[in-house]
Amino acid sequence: MNDPLSKAATAAEIARAVSTGKVKAAAVVEAALARIQAAEPTVNAFTDVVAQRARKRAAEIDAGQHIGPLSGVPFAVKNLFDIEGLPTCAGSKINVDGPKATRDGALVRKLEAAGAILLGGLNMGEYAYDFTGENAHYGPSRNPHDPTRMTGGSSGGSGAAVAAGEVPLSLGSDTNGSIRVPSSLCGLFGLKPTYGRLSRAGSFPFVDAFDHLGPLARSTEDLALSFDAMQGWDPDDSACTDRIAEPTLTRLKEGIGGLRIAIAGDYFAKGGEPEAFEAVATVARALGATKTVVLPQAAAARAAAYVITAMEGGQLHLERLKSRPQDFDGDTRERLMAGNLLPGAWYVKAQRFRRHYRAAVLKIFEEVDIVLAPATPRSAPKLGQTMMTIDGVELPVRASLGLFTQPISFIGLPVVAVPTRKPGAMPIGVQVIAKPFDEQAALRVSAHLEKERVCVSAPA
Amino acid sequence: MSEKKPDIAKWVDEAALAIGLPIAPQYRANVILNVERSLAIAAPLLALDLDDDLNPAPVYRP
Repeated sequence: MNDPLSKAATAAEIARAVSTGKVKAAAVVEAALARIQAAEPTVNAFTDVVAQRARKRAAEIDAGQHIGPLSGVPFAVKNLFDIEGLPTCAGSKINVDGPKATRDGALVRKLEAAGAILLGGLNMGEYAYDFTGENAHYGPSRNPHDPTRMTGGSSGGSGAAVAAGEVPLSLGSDTNGSIRVPSSLCGLFGLKPTYGRLSRAGSFPFVDAFDHLGPLARSTEDLALSFDAMQGWDPDDSACTDRIAEPTLTRLKEGIGGLRIAIAGDYFAKGGEPEAFEAVATVARALGATKTVVLPQAAAARAAAYVITAMEGGQLHLERLKSRPQDFDGDTRERLMAGNLLPGAWYVKAQRFRRHYRAAVLKIFEEVDIVLAPATPRSAPKLGQTMMTIDGVELPVRASLGLFTQPISFIGLPVVAVPTRKPGAMPIGVQVIAKPFDEQAALRVSAHLEKERVCVSAPA
Repeated sequence: MSEKKPDIAKWVDEAALAIGLPIAPQYRANVILNVERSLAIAAPLLALDLDDDLNPAPVYRP
């Protein structure tokens, strides 16, 4: 049990301490604000700190309002989530000139309704078209475990803020890997839920076909706690499921009994550094998983995800690329421009292939419940690094950090990224992948790995 | 895929013109590079034959 005012405190520990009166929400908020002030010069996770709002909310909680499972838990959100009174900049300079949000994003409202306290908006790669966490306008978010290295992106600030212990919980978005990549590089637990599970209302979009929102934390319990608070149909997001909420927290203690767990072979067993596959082997060993399955045509899935992303994302920004090209981050501008110039036939083919790949992968999930795969092909690269050598091949960092995440989000499967770390090395994560709407299975595996101390997340 | 390779620079210039996207000279080379990269990354998809009954699966509810 950690001191609820310490940087190691989890969301669950804080909520228990606040709800039993052991500590005031106001004290929790002040401690978090002090940690933010101390860590920001190093990690650059926050773009906005809403101290006044947080203090007001804490006072209300201490007066008995907004009591819930997350009472007094400080959290922060990638700055593509609407925060009332602020422009939703989505990592851009251009959106700062746009309208201020008149209402918080749906998930911010849900977490606050459960008693959590928003502390601010977090740095991110421009318009979420990023795997590095770098940003030309706001500076890079820096990895708390080694500030000369990347956090991963695009939810870079979401990774840095939790790994630095500024807050125990953050929200990010994941279109092709943007929750799982920073979770891997920053040594965190991250949940990319099933496509459509959580509402995206009140968040700035990137690629509607693949956009997911979800939590990053230092414990499985915190993922489950926040995920349960955020579930539920929302008519404001056309992709949001109308399935009834399926609580996961109460199921964590069920353990892994009865779950059929396999390792992804072929595409997911090559194209990475040895550390990526060692991480998978460590996790597989702890779970007693020996069976290997092949997700057929994963390379084509990654290609199709890339095409749909480039074209949907490019088109979303076409008018801004025409009117304000000089105001884009140089690392996103030309990629977005290029996306507008690709043949429409590619897009339609990618969407048709998606149906085929989905059917093929769901067939595999008739025989297994969980598939393990690397989260990233390597641990955190150095900031500013543009090329990396993987398996003897020179590859662009930006496009390649998501090699193993893209074929999974392409069909919307739920994934928990779990952290591994060898002594003296940087962290690296493993994807625990489940079938659609079976988040509880992936979370149970994550909880087991944490209980066995195979996957542990500690603030830097 | 045909053996003959497309002229990417010409492709970029003409497609940009068609959609009314001005590309300043200082950005052009990198746009061309990114279209080249896209062609390489898309290759495993473009090489596939898909059955006629495979329809796209976007989420749309009228």
